[in-house]
Amino acid sequence: MEEYNAGEEVSFNADEASVTVKECIEGIIGGLDYNQNKVNQWTASIVEHSLTQLVKQGKPFKFIVNCAIMQKSGAGLHTANSCYWDTATDGSCTVRWENRTMYCVVSVFAVAVTC
Amino acid sequence: MDINKGPYSNHLKLWRKPAEENCTMDEFQDSDETAFVIEEITTIIKDTVEATIGSSAYIQNRINQWTSSVVETSLNQLSKLNKPFKYIVTCIILQKNGAGLHTASSCFWDSTMDGSCTVRWENKSMYCIVTVFGLAV
Repeated sequence: MEEYNAGEEVSFNADEASVTVKECIEGIIGGLDYNQNKVNQWTASIVEHSLTQLVKQGKPFKFIVNCAIMQKSGAGLHTANSCYWDTATDGSCTVRWENRTMYCVVSVFAVAVTC
Repeated sequence: MDINKGPYSNHLKLWRKPAEENCTMDEFQDSDETAFVIEEITTIIKDTVEATIGSSAYIQNRINQWTSSVVETSLNQLSKLNKPFKYIVTCIILQKNGAGLHTASSCFWDSTMDGSCTVRWENKSMYCIVTVFGLAV
């Protein structure tokens, strides 16, 4: 007899995901300055680490984690996203982080797995 | 954490298709209608970006409208394909100013049925990067 009720729908908790992602970013680029040689590693680490932490929560979702790091040099950057999904169960959250030399924007999209 | 036990082990069976699954001719033909076809989606996105910002220079006041317009129009076109997918479309417009921009994404999904594609477009004053993620329902 499973403890988990298979018919129950779980919706995405954006606040919890936000906290998880912020901690990942701080851990990886927390005190650092923009470094062209290292940026590739940083973006890859941030997405992989965030994804691992999100999956560990054990919820029935597929995840997409997107990270953009931009040097602070006066250029304009705009991003937008639009989603075609089930608004009752799916969700997203975006975390914006910055320090003296760079901006980091991480978006998490969670799509419920239907069984 | 043993992913084969626990409350969500039923969900994980979704992501493991048995290797001995037979594929009949009918199933094979149907799979085009239910697969994530990268070329088709790339064409749709390229056309949308061209139509929205094709001939424009970077104008700070208009950027918000442009990014919104690109994602909404793309999403409309994608939903018209009537495939059993949920879509996520993201668009980045960056002024050409010498700044460095790096993006990465990582996905936890069913790699046999889900997919993504990225379209990079540029003109003299800006870059536009549109990414579409398609998740099978």
